[in-house]
Amino acid sequence: MPPARRRGLATVLALLLIAATAEIVLDGAVGHSALIPKSPDIAGWLAGIGERLGYRVFLIAILVFTAAYAGLILLCGRTSPDGISKRWAIVLVGVLQAMVFAGPILLSTDVFSYIAYARMGVEHGINPYLHGPVAIANDPVYRYVGHDWRHVPTAYGPLYTLLSYPLAPLGLKGALWGMKLEALLASVATLALTWRCACARGLDAVRALIVVGANPLYLIYGLGGAHNDLIMLALMMAAVGFTFADRDAAAGAAVVAGTLVKATVAVLLPFMILSRRRLATIAGAVGAIALAALIGYAAFGIHGIDLVAALNRDAAFVSTDSFATEIAHLFGKPGVFPVDHDLLKVALVLIVLHLLWRTWRGYDWVAASGWTLLAVSVTSTWLLAWYTLWPLPLAVVTRDRRLLAATLFIQALFIIHQTSPLFAPVQ
Amino acid sequence: MSDASEHVDPPSLRGLPRWLRPGSAEAGEPRRTRLIETTLLVLAGLLLALATVNDVARQTHVNQRLIADLRTWRTYTGHDYHNLSIDQALLGETSRREVICGNTSPGPPKARTQICLVIYGPIVDGHRAVHGGWYLPAEVEDERAYRYACFGPASLGRCAR
Repeated sequence: MPPARRRGLATVLALLLIAATAEIVLDGAVGHSALIPKSPDIAGWLAGIGERLGYRVFLIAILVFTAAYAGLILLCGRTSPDGISKRWAIVLVGVLQAMVFAGPILLSTDVFSYIAYARMGVEHGINPYLHGPVAIANDPVYRYVGHDWRHVPTAYGPLYTLLSYPLAPLGLKGALWGMKLEALLASVATLALTWRCACARGLDAVRALIVVGANPLYLIYGLGGAHNDLIMLALMMAAVGFTFADRDAAAGAAVVAGTLVKATVAVLLPFMILSRRRLATIAGAVGAIALAALIGYAAFGIHGIDLVAALNRDAAFVSTDSFATEIAHLFGKPGVFPVDHDLLKVALVLIVLHLLWRTWRGYDWVAASGWTLLAVSVTSTWLLAWYTLWPLPLAVVTRDRRLLAATLFIQALFIIHQTSPLFAPVQ
Repeated sequence: MSDASEHVDPPSLRGLPRWLRPGSAEAGEPRRTRLIETTLLVLAGLLLALATVNDVARQTHVNQRLIADLRTWRTYTGHDYHNLSIDQALLGETSRREVICGNTSPGPPKARTQICLVIYGPIVDGHRAVHGGWYLPAEVEDERAYRYACFGPASLGRCAR
């Protein structure tokens, strides 16, 4: 295909991405939809343009977005550098991120839990590691917190909780915009670091940017819901970048910092240590753990640093979108039983042991970490869209193409699993 | 950029069995291991794809049943209300028997006296059969203690009063 034609096709696909995003954001701004959590009016200025967001329109928009995204990735693989320019890709990803940032909170009430935990600590003097948001039932944020989470203390790390504290006094709308801004900045940092890591490894940075920054789950679910997973991803990519720059102590410390946002990213550390085989990595991590334990303990007591308890609690949850539930249904079971949790844990341990051995034998630690994060999300009985994002930035900075293919495949299955209302819409 | 290939491993590690010795570069990756991994990945992918497609089909069938149930509730009560609650678990997760509750007069969800219908059986002309039910006062959840005026065989023993 001649370069001019490729560029034309890329422009059409980009316009489809923008149109699908606009449809979701503008319709979402109207509110009164099962897909849009009850929220203070922060996107009212957009509300006059769209119509109430229904499942059908949302799913069609997501499917169009996904198809255009897939087309763009295929084009990227073949056309760069003469087809899709650096500037073109940055502008596209920037426009998509700005559109989602300007719109309402999409698809999840988690951001209200973040604000509730911050307000518990700052406005009410209640330790969010000991009590759920129900402890501040008279606070204006309480009515927006998801029903399932009202009695649940925070599962996030002390670094994230402390990062959210300055937003608590800003009022509900101020805190909401603060959370959205935090998510946007974390997203930009993740993309910039992914770009840098791809360049450091001699990989196609434009393709890496588009694969992550224009990903439908990253953009609509991750950024749209202002999820703190984006902050974790930024710290994860900082750790990868530090190892590429031979700054092993900083890399170890960055992984620990990410763990103090969301514990999942801790899986990088053993692979990094096994591969790098440098004392500096361990020293950096131990130093950061000691500092964090001190600050976490001073701020929240022993519960603030007991991340294992929070992980164990969350591991017992079951979501309808998890592959464990789907496989249970495939074999005629109504759902996941306690024994299935144990089987999944055994499977995960075996996968991790194999990857550790492979890393010891010389396999790329970044890819091994990505596989582990993918395995964690696939074997989890509590799978949410943004969990499938964890391995994505790692997948575009490794030479093992199987990781990217597997990550995108899992994401595609997640999207397909959402589509049943298209075939039989319940009204 | 550096990688593990730059490091020299201590002589003590040279005594390890060959498969346990530290490797140094991806170039030396055994093709057999990669082939086994890829095969397992493809098999796992097939299982997940099959489970996903099966679940979409299953959920579509559930939705078709719920559409019929909602239509049945509206026909039975004569109210074209859309804020109805559906309980699929009360009579057993896999029983395909649903309990649908809704207001008996116009108002916000659960703000009026509610009527609950026990519905099951095959879909005929877009409806399923009503096998009983009960009433609930306003502003309460469907719990045995609140149910009254039970009717039909499916409600036997389900009312407290």
